[in-house]
Amino acid sequence: MIPGRLTKELARICGRDAVIIDRDRLLVYESDALTAYRHRPGAVVLPRTTEEVRRTVQAVVRHGLPIVPRGAGTGLSGGAVALNGAVVIGTARMNRILAIDAPNRRAVLQPGVINAELSAAAAGQGLYYAPDPSSQTACTIGGNVAENSGGPHCLKYGVTSRYVTGLTVVLPDGSVVKAGGQGREAPGYDLVGLFVGSEGCFGIATEIEVGLLPVPEGVRTLLGIFDRIEDAGRAVSEIISAGLLPAAMEIIDGPTIRAVEDSVFAAGYPTDAEAALVIEFDGLEAGLDDEAERATRFCLRAGAREVRGARDEEERVALWKGRKKAFGAMGRIAPDLLVQDATVPRTTLPAILKGISEIGKRYNLIVANVFHAGDGNLHPNILFDRRDLDELERVEHASKEIMQLCVDAGGTITGEHGVGLDKKHHMPLIYGPDELDTMWGIRRVFDPGAVMNPGKVLPEETEPSHANRGQDPARGELVGAPAPA
Amino acid sequence: MNNQALTPESTAETREIVLAARAAGSRLLPAGRRTWPGAGGWTRDGGTPVSTSQLDTVHHYEPADLILTAGAGIGLDRLARIVGPNRQWLPFDAPGSSAGTLGAAVASGTSGPLRTRYGATRDNVLGLEVVTGDGRTLRIGGRVVKNVAGYDLVRLFTGSRGSLGIITRVSVRLFPIPGADETLLFAGGPSEAVSMARTVCTSEVPVAAAELVEGEEVGADRAMVLAVRLLGGPREVEESRRRIRAALGTEPWRALHDGESRRFHTARIGWEEGASLVARLAALPDRLDAALAAARACATRANGGAQGSAAITADALQGLVRVRASLPDVDPPTGLAETLATARRDVEALGGSLTLSHAPPQVATRVGWTGSRRETAALTERIKALFDPDSVLAPRCP
Ligand SMILES: Cc1cc2nc3c(=O)[nH]c(=O)nc-3n(C[C@H](O)[C@H](O)[C@H](O)COP(=O)(O)OP(=O)(O)OC[C@H]3O[C@@H](n4cnc5c(N)ncnc54)[C@H](O)[C@@H]3O)c2cc1C
Repeated sequence: MIPGRLTKELARICGRDAVIIDRDRLLVYESDALTAYRHRPGAVVLPRTTEEVRRTVQAVVRHGLPIVPRGAGTGLSGGAVALNGAVVIGTARMNRILAIDAPNRRAVLQPGVINAELSAAAAGQGLYYAPDPSSQTACTIGGNVAENSGGPHCLKYGVTSRYVTGLTVVLPDGSVVKAGGQGREAPGYDLVGLFVGSEGCFGIATEIEVGLLPVPEGVRTLLGIFDRIEDAGRAVSEIISAGLLPAAMEIIDGPTIRAVEDSVFAAGYPTDAEAALVIEFDGLEAGLDDEAERATRFCLRAGAREVRGARDEEERVALWKGRKKAFGAMGRIAPDLLVQDATVPRTTLPAILKGISEIGKRYNLIVANVFHAGDGNLHPNILFDRRDLDELERVEHASKEIMQLCVDAGGTITGEHGVGLDKKHHMPLIYGPDELDTMWGIRRVFDPGAVMNPGKVLPEETEPSHANRGQDPARGELVGAPAPA
Repeated sequence: MNNQALTPESTAETREIVLAARAAGSRLLPAGRRTWPGAGGWTRDGGTPVSTSQLDTVHHYEPADLILTAGAGIGLDRLARIVGPNRQWLPFDAPGSSAGTLGAAVASGTSGPLRTRYGATRDNVLGLEVVTGDGRTLRIGGRVVKNVAGYDLVRLFTGSRGSLGIITRVSVRLFPIPGADETLLFAGGPSEAVSMARTVCTSEVPVAAAELVEGEEVGADRAMVLAVRLLGGPREVEESRRRIRAALGTEPWRALHDGESRRFHTARIGWEEGASLVARLAALPDRLDAALAAARACATRANGGAQGSAAITADALQGLVRVRASLPDVDPPTGLAETLATARRDVEALGGSLTLSHAPPQVATRVGWTGSRRETAALTERIKALFDPDSVLAPRCP
């Protein structure tokens, strides 16, 4: 609950229908897609313009409340969860594409534009927006910017940060800053690059300029079926070291295949397989067949049972279906899902996959893997029921062990989902006190008053002036019981 | 300014140098092998150069991962020799010299014509070890291609030009060397060349780079040459060549294959070498003509109206034009500063920018290395203070 005076002020700025304070309507804002973390916001405000965001920020800060920016709430690290009754500033109404500038292959948009809608809007001009998180039909570009999101095709094309060329940001002090801009060289610090991936802690992006690419002329999609997941991992590594650069290489493991095939999303993958590897090449038609043939040979040599090829768009969609619907299908096996996101050097994939499966067995948990194999970006999904407290504890332990395993192999704790609430206590696995201290410092450069998405990314016990600060009740543990409705 | 450089042999030693300078209130100028002193104007008098040239060990290189970690002082030429036998390369083609160091390439953060295909320098730096101006050693980023753990300090340091810390170690992403490398040179008059460039850049053919070069420089008898670089599998390149020719409706004046093509582009990296004036004019690609006109005016003025050494070149895919000139030591041509200032106004009016990367002091002080960026000045100031509170290192970026 926020003070009535603030509610009135926000309604004056954004309109009455843009301010949500009812308990029932706030329910959908309690969590993001990582539903194990739930906190009810004090209010949700849905501005339409940079100016409304600016005035909203000023008003909330004047009342001494924290702010949480929010896109579509598909995040998988608890980033958009409002701790301590924070006010959520949602970008749902900032969903206009302001310009598609085809000759310069760029677009300017508001942050609430849905990722897939940008590509759809640019398609008429033969262009598209390359970063394609699997959630692209729901997530916003603003959320992608905040998380520096990746996607299956980032193997060839790179992640969000490569495509963000300019930003307008409302800072916590209510000032509006423009940084970057295509066609302009911005000597000096890469503020755009620094903001991308800042998880809503530096300010709210209210206008985003991105680069677009020409839609590739041809596509070849392959599906390799393996009896051992390590073999699929080896195929990935060998394809890359042979100098091939597929647009995407995704692995779906046995438990995931079975979940998918048991569900309404059945894609026709053999249920006795231990891994399916989707490989895609794109570009000019000429040469694609050669590449697909070479990749097929590498799969067979690594031990693939069979390699299927898609001959048309319909078959291509079918091959991808198992991958795209994996998360949805897993939801049917268990009520809760903990998605991990470590990245490891590609060559360590076979060993790591084996290690993860052993950890799962040791803690008696179902671990299902579906991931961006070409980038070494793993998504071990731990399936559980948060009402089972014993299981919950095993999940926490297994989760930490998996992360440690990946870090020891030269990897990192998150490749694309962000740290948020979920992984902040794992930050010391990869960073020492000096690095964490510096990150606190950078955060304060943008947000000296600690009002933007506090309690995320950095573990509070590492905060330089920690001793002087109030207790933060949300330490980021998994919630042990269903949230009150 | 040409003090004897300090050459630490380890990160720890680098840190001691910084701490000692901080305690003594003296100034340091981070540097690589100093192949290109003064680049960007972020140097100043009175500092002792600290060169990372002795930090040139390869710490980690697993070819199958396409990732390499090395000391910042490793030469880009040596790096190429190490990864080349595995048919891999680091497609950094920013202006400079191939003897330049990896650390300096990252610190300057500039990208070359291959940016559209491979990403900018900052897209391919995965991790860094730095010694900050207040003497802390930070290891940021990592050794994997996707990493979003914490705020992106790697991007902050890439392009920070020695103003926040001394980069001591770098992890970069490598790429497979494509099977075919071909450069088609099309010659034409000034406006013809621009229109050819536009056709190529908006076609569906995935060209790796498209540059405009003055004909004289490559021995052509037309005013300009458009150099279109194709990289990929042999069949893809062959098909691309066919389509580019069809789109332009003309045969290339020359076609360079593989080794020849590579040598052509390697030579272009050194295009600015020895110049005392280098200006970069950026604009959106569809306003390349306007940026070229502004650049030509600068070149003409730099030549003092007469025939001279000044030249221009453009990266058509990115809409970036560069002017290069060797000016007389004593007095720069009259009116040069004014012409540069006018050119800046012209490109800024189109949403572009003009920055100087080399200029005689008389010119630089009058024109300014960059246009003003008041909006971000406060943030920039606080960032500098966070890493280098006592201004031990190079001055903050504008
Ligand atoms: C089924 C499924 C599949 C997924 N697949 C992928 C994948 O392949 N790759 C991938 O990277 N991610 C994936 N995700 C995660 C998620 O979709 C991305 O992180 C996405 O970018 C979040 O966007 P959102 O709009 O939902 O943001 P939210 O969840 O609403 O917010 C995420 C973070 O962004 C901040 N934020 C939002 N908007 C702004 C703004 N305008 N300014 C500043 N901060 C802002 C929030 O404060 C929060 O910290 C997946 C999620 C699901 C549920």
